[in-house]
Amino acid sequence: MPGHTLPPPCTFLNVGQAFAGTQNVSNMQKDEAWKVNVRLQGVDMQSGYLCGSMEALNVPAAETPVVTFWEGEIVDNRNYSFYTGQWDATKETDVKHWSKFASFLELREEVQKDGGKSIDLVNHPYIFMRWKEKFFVNVGTDCGLTIAGFYYVCFSRSDGSVNGFYYDPNSRYAAYNYDLLNVVLGNVLCSPYQKLELKATNEGRAGHSFATYQFQ
Amino acid sequence: MPASATWARPEDLVESLSSLDNTARLKALRDVKNQIIGNKTKKLSYIKLGAVPRVVEILASDTEIPLLVQSAAAVGSFACGIDAGVRAVLDSGVLPHLLKMLQNGDTKVAETCARALKMIFHSPLAPKSDMFQGHRMELLLQLLNHDNENVSEVAARVLARCCESKEHQQALADAGGLQSLVSLLAGSTKIREAALDALAALTKNNKQISETVIKMHNGDALISIIRLIKDKSPLSRLLACMCLANIGKACPGGYAQEGEVRATMLGILMKLLEEAGQAGEDSPGVLADLVANNEELQKAAAEKKAIEKLAEFLLREEVPYKQLEGVLWGLTELCAKLEESRRQLLELKVEGSLVAALRHPCEGVKVAACSCIASLSRSVKNLRTSLASEQFVRPLLQLMNDPCPGVQGAALTVVGNIVLDFTPQKLVFMQTDGIAQLTNLSQSMDHTLRRNAVLALKNLLFMADVTVKRRVMAELTVSTLCDLIRDPEEEVQEQAVSLVRNLVHGDPDFIEQIFSDGSMLFQAVEKQLTNHRLEVSVQALYVMNNVACGSEVHKEAVLASVLRSRSGNKSSWLICFLQDMSNPQLRVVAVVCIINLLDPAGGDISSRVMRLREAGVEAQLRKMVDDSCLDVKYHVKSALECFTPATVTTSSGR
Repeated sequence: MPGHTLPPPCTFLNVGQAFAGTQNVSNMQKDEAWKVNVRLQGVDMQSGYLCGSMEALNVPAAETPVVTFWEGEIVDNRNYSFYTGQWDATKETDVKHWSKFASFLELREEVQKDGGKSIDLVNHPYIFMRWKEKFFVNVGTDCGLTIAGFYYVCFSRSDGSVNGFYYDPNSRYAAYNYDLLNVVLGNVLCSPYQKLELKATNEGRAGHSFATYQFQ
Repeated sequence: MPASATWARPEDLVESLSSLDNTARLKALRDVKNQIIGNKTKKLSYIKLGAVPRVVEILASDTEIPLLVQSAAAVGSFACGIDAGVRAVLDSGVLPHLLKMLQNGDTKVAETCARALKMIFHSPLAPKSDMFQGHRMELLLQLLNHDNENVSEVAARVLARCCESKEHQQALADAGGLQSLVSLLAGSTKIREAALDALAALTKNNKQISETVIKMHNGDALISIIRLIKDKSPLSRLLACMCLANIGKACPGGYAQEGEVRATMLGILMKLLEEAGQAGEDSPGVLADLVANNEELQKAAAEKKAIEKLAEFLLREEVPYKQLEGVLWGLTELCAKLEESRRQLLELKVEGSLVAALRHPCEGVKVAACSCIASLSRSVKNLRTSLASEQFVRPLLQLMNDPCPGVQGAALTVVGNIVLDFTPQKLVFMQTDGIAQLTNLSQSMDHTLRRNAVLALKNLLFMADVTVKRRVMAELTVSTLCDLIRDPEEEVQEQAVSLVRNLVHGDPDFIEQIFSDGSMLFQAVEKQLTNHRLEVSVQALYVMNNVACGSEVHKEAVLASVLRSRSGNKSSWLICFLQDMSNPQLRVVAVVCIINLLDPAGGDISSRVMRLREAGVEAQLRKMVDDSCLDVKYHVKSALECFTPATVTTSSGR
């Protein structure tokens, strides 16, 4: 496997880092958005792994905020590529979702050609990831939310902002609307459905602080 | 034994062992020996009656062959399978006599003495270092080349059991032990196995000796060992694998065909796991050594269902302690890095067996169980799920007080992982005296324990709330923490400074703690900014950065430190970090620290901009606009925006 050197640092991808924003879950019938807080709990750039918690607030179906634990894959062409290869995502699903990020469009051709394996992602201004929720932390599976799908995520190195699109292969309704919209808008504009928008936050501190821990 | 045979009373038999009449002595010896064979109760009873010193006395002072043979056989019987027997013969000073008798011209005497020695050295009670005293080692080496195979086999076995330290290994190698042992590889199965056993002991964790074996006889010695991994005897296969696993671990990539040999050994060891006897019992430990630090092999082993196979032993009710230890070490190595392997193991519901292993009477098993749990706990997901129950915490806390430093250290390592913020165990830890225990260990004389205790406290403070921080600081105290920051060991310093990093992260109010008691902590950290060891200085930089996220007063304190560190031609610590090309992370944190110092949220920053500019910071940042690291580049851009007049006058925010 190539690349034995350490991946370059990324200020906003550190353990303890918090993100806050919304998840837009609108559909044809209604406009709806939840407040979402994310915290990174594990980051291993070398193996392209990260994990953390995601808290959804003011979810109409739930009485309390819903917290999930998720694990992420960093598309680095060493550990993970743009092609998901699992979770019922086909190559077409992958390209369709990645294409919703403006920063991916310049890469799309190469990805479609050979998976984009020769793209220098280490020095790219955006980091592409997949975040997959693994389990509910504080509620049961009957909380009215699903974690069957996963997020395609585009993360900005410069300011730590996160954009994501949820893909749920089991949700026919969402898929139907999704495809309909893609047809109408020519598969270029972003779908408003299940869109995650987060910003890195300092949580009230007057600056960017770094926490740390170390496994032994 | 004929049914009609009758023996004298045991007391009389013991008395007869010291009879002046040779025939009576011989008869008594025979009778005692025949009675104790395979009978633990009889052995204990004769030990109590004081038979052993009398038997040994015969071996020490008699010259008649039948007496010598029978006394050596009786010694062997006493020492077979019972610790009290081994202790009794050793206490009677039997060793020098047995060694001397190995050179006896009579084959039967030599062989019986060899067997007795073999029995003694089966036991962990057998003396180890003693065998390297005086001329004993030379004698054993001479015996390796003895005409009688039984004698040379025992000499090799004794060497294998006694060779425990680097000094022992070196002494044996220097005295020509390697040559003799390698030449025995051409002998019969049992002598070959004894030689492999000793070669494994000599190469264990010893790079120099492993290299010598690789090069010996132009590689022929190594080839002979490699050939034996396919021998028809399972024990020979195991011992050859043990030697090669030791050699591979001590000098990875040490010979051309290593990759291929390792892959073959993996298959062989997987099959050996199912063997009965020593080959099966020792194979998990050898598997552990084979896959240690080799992710590819760990993956390959998992694909061959190594985790399932090892877990099967772990889940059994009764497993010999040595095998259990090996199984735990095997699982430790297999789960050291691979999350998928950890998942596989935990799916097999081994938690209860792991907890039981933590309470095992044998120290080796306890250490291995701690290491296995440490491997599993190197995963946030596992800490939140399978390892989240209280069942692990309490036995681990107990083991932190174990009288054996090895057990204590191993338990401390796991505790460091399980006290992290996202684990429910943290609560249990807070409810017990865990913090006090860690604080005590942070003052241990053993620097590894000290380092690991401080690391655990640091992890405990990761994302901790004010209550936890207060509890830790009340136990640890500012002055002890300052001492740890100035510890003679750099690894302890590094952990202590990064503990402060977590202490001042989070609640802005807690930054104040670093300035209590006349700013002792702040000053101790400040001194470490110029530590020659990068691992320490970078942690000090992180602390300064985190303090710079606090109030105006805190930002001023950091800036004052920057300015104070300039003298004559010497640059400030901040400039030094900005100019350090060894690691982009240093430049990133240094630039973020500048941004934090100029964070307008606190009020008027124009004065700080001026002072930083005068300190050459802006000029340095301008040189970094095209830094090779993207992250540095972005933050330099943001930092320079803070220096623009608009920002300075209006404090308009970033």
